Formats: sequence, C-alpha cells, structure tokens
Amino acid sequence: MAGAGTGVGVRRVLAGLAGRAPARVFVVAGRDARESVQGLRLDPRLEFVDSPRAAAILLVVGDLPEPLLAAGLALHDSMPRPRATVWWIPASGGPKRSDFPGALVVRAGEDVAAAISRTQAALLLGRRASEPDLLPDTDPAPWRGVGPYGQGGTGMTGGVPYGRPLAERAPDRDGLELDQLPVGVGPFFPPFPPGFVLEAKLQGDVIQAAALGENAFARTEPRGDTMAAVSGPFARALTQPVLITELELARARHHLAWLGHALRVQGLGALGRRAWRLASGISPVRAQEVRVFSRMLEATRSLGWATASVGVIDTALLAQMAPGPVTRAAGSARDAREEDPAYIALGFESVVQPDGDARARWRQRVDEALQSLQLAGQAGERLSTPVGKIESPRGTLTDAVSPAAELLDLVPALVTGMEWGDAMTTIVSLDLDLEEAAGRPVPAA
Amino acid sequence: MSETLGLLVGVALTIVVVGAGAYLVGVIDAAIAQVVAGEALEWNRTLAAPVRGAAFLLLQERTTTERPDAPLWAIAPALLAGLAATALALVPLGPSGAVAEVEAGIVAFGALGALVMVAVYFHGWAPNSVLPLIGGYRFVALALSYEMPLALVLIAAALPAQSLRLSAIVASQAELWNVLRQPLGLPLYLIAGLGLAFRGPLAFPDAADLAGGTRAEASGAALLLWQTARSAMLVAVAAIGATVFLGGWLGPWLPGPAWLAVKTLVLLVPLVAADHLLARVRLERFVVIAWVVLIPLALVDVFLSGVLLL
Repeated sequence: MAGAGTGVGVRRVLAGLAGRAPARVFVVAGRDARESVQGLRLDPRLEFVDSPRAAAILLVVGDLPEPLLAAGLALHDSMPRPRATVWWIPASGGPKRSDFPGALVVRAGEDVAAAISRTQAALLLGRRASEPDLLPDTDPAPWRGVGPYGQGGTGMTGGVPYGRPLAERAPDRDGLELDQLPVGVGPFFPPFPPGFVLEAKLQGDVIQAAALGENAFARTEPRGDTMAAVSGPFARALTQPVLITELELARARHHLAWLGHALRVQGLGALGRRAWRLASGISPVRAQEVRVFSRMLEATRSLGWATASVGVIDTALLAQMAPGPVTRAAGSARDAREEDPAYIALGFESVVQPDGDARARWRQRVDEALQSLQLAGQAGERLSTPVGKIESPRGTLTDAVSPAAELLDLVPALVTGMEWGDAMTTIVSLDLDLEEAAGRPVPAA
Repeated sequence: MSETLGLLVGVALTIVVVGAGAYLVGVIDAAIAQVVAGEALEWNRTLAAPVRGAAFLLLQERTTTERPDAPLWAIAPALLAGLAATALALVPLGPSGAVAEVEAGIVAFGALGALVMVAVYFHGWAPNSVLPLIGGYRFVALALSYEMPLALVLIAAALPAQSLRLSAIVASQAELWNVLRQPLGLPLYLIAGLGLAFRGPLAFPDAADLAGGTRAEASGAALLLWQTARSAMLVAVAAIGATVFLGGWLGPWLPGPAWLAVKTLVLLVPLVAADHLLARVRLERFVVIAWVVLIPLALVDVFLSGVLLL
C-alpha cells in the first residue's frame, strides 16, 4: 500500500514538472494547412518534434485527403501513451468527418497553442484519458511466404511476406552484390513537404533507385486551375493589379520561412528559428537584420560544406523548366518580373548564382529575399501589371505551367545514387509543394 | 571492507556526475539555442528545461515496433550510459587519482570509443525500422575516420608523460600544458570528440534529416536514458580533453576537482555550441577529410611529440 502511495506521489511530482514543459507536438498537415502551421512554429508553449514517438499531441491541421488520412491514423497509433489529438480547422467550418473520434476540435479564431498546451497538461496529470488505438493491431497483409525458409521469394531474399517487401540483391556502386532494401518514406516525414512520399531502394544509406509516391492532393479533389493552391497574393496578381509591396514582402517571407526549414533539416534548429523570426516580422526596414543573418550563415562555413556541389541539375533539363529560384541559382537570368512595366520602372534586374547546386539555391533565395525587401521599400503604392504570368516564390506561373509540378518531377533522377543526407539536402533545396503541384493543369479531354 | 565502501562511493559519485553532467549539457544547450535563435535568454525556463523534459519522458510509455530485436534495443542505451560512466570514472580528480585508477587509462578511453560504435549500431538496428537503421549504418561508416585521429593524438599526449596512466599525463603537464606543447592535439581531439558523442557536424546517426535517426522510434524512459548517455559522453569527452590537454586538476588556489570542473566547462561550451552553429558535414566528404587531412596531421602530432623528447 505504502509503495502504491509513493508511486502516486512520485507520479504527481513528475506530472507537475512535465506539465510545465512545452507541449510536444507532431504535425499532420492536410489541405491549406501550411501557412497556419508556420504561424505556430515560434510559439514558446509548443515544441515541434520530428518523430511521433517523441510527441504527446498529434496536431491534425485541416482536412486530410484519403491516403493521408490512413497515414495520419497509423501515426496516431504509433504515439506513446499518454497521447491526444488536437484537430485544428484554421478555415471556417468544422471537420467533415469524425476520423479522429477522441480529438479536441479547435476552430478558426481560437487559441490553438493554448488548447494544445492545456491538453498535454491534462493528459500528464491524468485529467484527460489517453486515446486508444484507432486502427486494429494486425498485420497489414496475410502471410504469403513461399520460399523454402518461409520467406516471400524463391531465393534467400525478396518477396513481400506480410505485405512488407524484403531486401533483394543488387550490385552496389563498387560492383559488389549487396542487399537492397525497398523503403517508403513519407507522407509526414518532417524534412519533406506534407504528402510527399519517396519510394526508394536503399543500399546502406545510398539511394539506388527512387520514385515518387502518389500525390494525395491530386487524387481526391483534382483542381483544374493551377492557382487555387498557390498561397499568398500571387494567384491574384495573375489577373489583377496587386501592390508590389505586398507581393515582394510575401516573397521575402516565403523564402525566409523556407530557409528556416532548410536549416532545421541540416540540424540547425536554433538558426532556423532565427530565420522564422525574420520571416514573421518581415518589413523593408529589417533588411539589415536579414543581411546580418546571411553573413552569419556564410561565416559558419559548414553549411556550405553540407550543400556545395550537391544536387546539380542537368543543364538540358534546366533549359526546359519554367524560370524560378532554382533555374536562377544555375545562372539563368529569366524572371517574369522583367516583363512587368511596373517592375521595369523600379529598375528591377534579376539576381543569379552561377553554381547550380543546393548551396547556390539557398544563397539565391536569401538574395531574392533581400532584393524583395528593397523593392518593397521602393515601390510605395505602385501596382503590378498583369502580363499573363507572375513570378511566384517557386517560379514563373502562367495559366498553363506550374513550376511546383516541374520541380517535383526532377526528384527521382536527381536523388538516385545519392547518400541519404545529400538526397535530403537536394529535396529540401527544391522547395517542393505537393498541393501546388497537384494544381497542375488538367489536359483538355 | 573499506575497499568495498570506496567502490560504492566511487560508483555513486560516477552516477551523480553522469546525471549532473547531462543536466549541465541540457542547460548549456538550451541557453545557446536561445542566443543563436536571437531570443531573450529566460534563465528560469533554461534551468528547468532539462528536468521538465526528463519528467515528461518518465511519464511516457515505452513503445515498441513491429518485430524489434528487443534485447539489443534494451541494451543499447544502457551500454552507451555505461561507457560514458566508465569514461568519466577514468578522469583523475586530484593527486589521489581517479574513481577508476587504471594503469593504461588512456588506452581504456580509446577502447571505450570503439564500443560506442557497437551501442549506436545496436540502437539503430534493434527497432527494425528504416530511419534508425540508416542512422546505424552511417555511424559504422563514420567511426573509423574519427577513431584513428583520436587514438593518435592520445598516444602523442602519453609520450611526454612516458606513461599511459592519465594521472601521469596530468603530472607531466605541471610545467607546460599539452595544449601548448602539442598545438595540433586539442583541435584534432575536439573534432574526434564530436564524432564520439555524435553531435554537431558529426551528428550522423541521430540526425534531423532522419527525424532523429537511431532514436526516431524510441520513447519514454529508454529515450531519456539514451539522451542522458549521449550528453554524459560529451561531458566525458570534455573531461578527458581537459585532463589530457589542459592540465586536468592542476592549478593554484582552487582545489583540484574545481580546476577540473572549470576546464571541462571551457571545452564543453564550444562542443555544445557546435550543435547549433555548424551544419552536419557530408558523410563522404568527412571520411575523405579524415583520411587525407586529420589522420596525417595526427601522425605529424605524434612525430613532433616524439622529436621534442629526444
């Protein structure tokens, strides 16, 4: 009895301490969720963790298309107890289904960080019950072993018993026959954009073959128009004049938010927070802070070591692509703003980097962010001119071309043969977005 | 009887140092992270953060994966913690020696380093999951490249002492610290030390690009033990570095252990800061740099140290 009493006492002390820690959150971001999640990143009440195993709160944002929902439910069940789900609907309305039965639903206008923080404290203090599994704990497929050792294939390797592919043999880069493991990573792997699934064949940490998984955003609600999924004022600017200041500040914010993410994937979370802080308070008068930050990144040279000569794109491919930060980072000066009289009047000239590698891409985005701040400071009340195309942060958008989809298509060939770390650096450097890519124009039937 | 008592006191002291060291690393880490992020330093939160985080993990369930190698998964954090504790026990605290006064202390430390690879690979292999496995592979690919310079600079430091005993190496620095006598030694040691504690630019197995790598599937008390062990290993790297290159407990006015603590802290702060300021290097590139630059420099260090003794 005394032992049990002490146990309860210890538990209460621990809960009192842990209840004051930031809530550990794993994010499952659905449609139109990116900007909302970005707004929470700096909240001191929250700590965004990279693995569901380290989280107590599963934060589901927006509605999840069908294949992402299945992944979200599986992630929920992989979380350790005590656990809870907070389902945040940043747009108006409520959840369309009840896929996360125990979830606390937070609607637009409510303080989601406070709700998450309260939920974790209640969980730890035992005032809120931990959620049970949402999926049955069974093997995903029946046993299909056929070989003499109970494996799936005919030799010692290969096959898919229990629905899990086994390792196969294949020559490695030195010509040796070694195990090759087929793996799928995504759709909520933190270095990747939400929904991105990489189907890879790995030998050690080398990617020997790569393919993209299905784009869940494209499957459920095919969007005929490219623009709906493009965030910020850029879609609007395609058809109507928009304040140049507004466009350029949105661009600078986008690039700095990307930089924060890229730094985090390189293991530099604290520098990443600094980038996010700059992004959230973006204004032309803060250009100097961005410049200082950029110099700081150049001074810690190892960011250059991690990205230099990684992920160089074939020049023939680049020539066919829509212009954007990725092509400009490889020396091509094309930029849709050069054709807009309003920008010409401001003396706009595109900036470029010569190298075309991942390092050139992050330098390019920092330079473009600085240029955007300068333009935003000069533009005053000037409006952009709709010329049938617009330079979005991912590249030149027209009614027919989505740069995001083009960038996505580059991935399999680029990462094949790379070590895991280089592949992650490359994928991040392209600034992919599955929702925007899903807006790829549908060919006329 | 007194020997048993001494042993118990030594073990208790080591466990306290492991816990306190991990706490200290947590506090320094949180403080540096806030400064680097450009945020106001909140001391109350910074000092409480490691304790609150530990309490959170103690309340969390330890999850499992599909068909893990359960014994290895349980052993891995315990092995790493044991190695860190053993390394800390080797550090001489004063003229009377270390908790574990070993004849060839410096060799023992090098041998521990080799076993870290085993602990990390177990931790990556055991969960039967992709991301931890890649983390494990990476560490195996990396290990030899940092262990070679580590072993060589430690041998160079043993030369002037003409002994492999850590106490003798401290005593040999009474006139001149090894950091000045062997200027190549400490920088090479710190690079290799980051590899041994797999942090900062050499945080390959537990990297952010693997969503935590070998610890991606770990939770609860097992994760707490792993993180504590990893931090304690960094403290051990700093403490052995202070002993071998900064004269260990030697110094005027203050008692020996206080000098050792100060010198350990001097090395610990930059080691922790590396986590926040230096990006992870590319694995392939690091291996090339290690074999083309670091190992030859370590050999030069050994050679020059030998020549100076003639």
